[in-house]
Amino acid sequence: MENSIELQNVSKKYKDFELKTISFNVPQGCIVGLIGENGAGKTTTIKSILNITKSEGTIKIFGKDSVKNEKEIKEETGVVLDDSFLSEYLTAKQVNSIMKEFYKTWNEEKYISLLKQFNLPTDKLIKDFSSGMKMKLKIATAISHNPKLLILDEPTSGLDPVVRNEILDIFRKYIEEDETRSILLSTHITTDLEHISDYIVFIEKGKMIFNLPTDELLENYGIIKCSKEDFTRLNKKDYIAYKKGKYQYEVLTSNKNNIRNRYNITTIDKPSIEDIMLLYIKGEK
Amino acid sequence: MIKGLLKKDLFNLASYKTSLIIIIVFCGIAIIGTDAINLAPTVICAIVGMISLSTFSYDEISKSNKYILTLPTNRKEIVKEKYILAIGATIFGGLLGILLTILVVNVMNYIRPENMINLDYKILITTALGGIFCISLLQAIQIPSVFKWGAEKGRIQMFISLFIIIAVIGGIYFLVTKFNININIEMLSDFINKFGLIILIALMVVMYFVSYKIAYKIYRNKEE
Repeated sequence: MENSIELQNVSKKYKDFELKTISFNVPQGCIVGLIGENGAGKTTTIKSILNITKSEGTIKIFGKDSVKNEKEIKEETGVVLDDSFLSEYLTAKQVNSIMKEFYKTWNEEKYISLLKQFNLPTDKLIKDFSSGMKMKLKIATAISHNPKLLILDEPTSGLDPVVRNEILDIFRKYIEEDETRSILLSTHITTDLEHISDYIVFIEKGKMIFNLPTDELLENYGIIKCSKEDFTRLNKKDYIAYKKGKYQYEVLTSNKNNIRNRYNITTIDKPSIEDIMLLYIKGEK
Repeated sequence: MIKGLLKKDLFNLASYKTSLIIIIVFCGIAIIGTDAINLAPTVICAIVGMISLSTFSYDEISKSNKYILTLPTNRKEIVKEKYILAIGATIFGGLLGILLTILVVNVMNYIRPENMINLDYKILITTALGGIFCISLLQAIQIPSVFKWGAEKGRIQMFISLFIIIAVIGGIYFLVTKFNININIEMLSDFINKFGLIILIALMVVMYFVSYKIAYKIYRNKEE
């Protein structure tokens, strides 16, 4: 399988934050979720991929160097950023007029039909749009030149569940239309990823914690709910982190079958991605 | 790609069209009501030239530079576009002022032949060029400052730079008068008459070029 994005040892140093040797791939035809709490390094990773910020390491997009072939790569990439767009003082109609100057493959018909599909007015200033409408406009703009790759930074933050679901549907359809398309989706709302992502990359304090297929993560990881006695029986190598509750211990393991077989513990819950992330961040090691 | 960036800025600036019409009307009235017939090119050029820089504020409010860097363009084109817009706006303002003056004077002379206004075209164009030069100087200082410090702080930096320039010129003038340094005014005036226009244009080209180089160097290393 070819990769749309390849990151190798990408690092970036700021005064108060450091992104440390991040390596992962976004295979063609896949949705990769980039998760982590706010300030973990997700946006810095995306900014490095897009060459908005200079970083160390190797970044290849469509097999090409991301800096040397910047324009060519960006022709085939659609981007949605949570906090940034062309201008708040434009209308959707003006956005169309601007974007066709940027992309050789800009599809005006597709853009107009997406605006209709999303019920977006063409002559209203973007600043008067609701958050959901703004996000839908950003997405319509990002996919109207038929990009091979979508890079989305927090596309669902601040949106209500109905709009979030609508937006996730758009991504699902986009990837289903062409098997060579890929999506890198950064979010701290991990529930969004459970149904649509193929891989999960978890970043914490600038360090990559894991990069795993979503199915494997949800199948193999487990949260053991046990007493203090059972917890003390556990070998440290068999769990990742734990949280001491009022009545029981919650212990995160990456191999729940191993725990079942070795310790004869049966109360192991299937965790959500959020549970895994929370125990990694807040749990004791 | 520069065309796309220009379109974005021009759409943003469209909100100034009412203000521009008011300024044109005001300048037209000033030409009729006062003797300041050469005022319009400088005023319109100054206002249009400075309005063009307000696109930086629009970009800042919408944090659009980060998004623009995700489009098939680059930092060089982003900086270049700002200069094209600034220079274009200044020249447009100057030309608009010249045309307005010619139009108003000729209409008034037609309506009131007993009260003829004498329009010296040479003075009009020289004044317009002087105005364009001053605005170019301001822009050449302000654009790199805005790229470095942002729209708000950049404006303050520009006023500081302008104050320093005025202080230096004032200082030179003070020294010349204090130490009675003789300057051959006739020769100087002759020189300006002969080469003034070329020097002015050459200075503008150099100013913008140096300013562009500095602005690009700043923006190339800036984190969005």
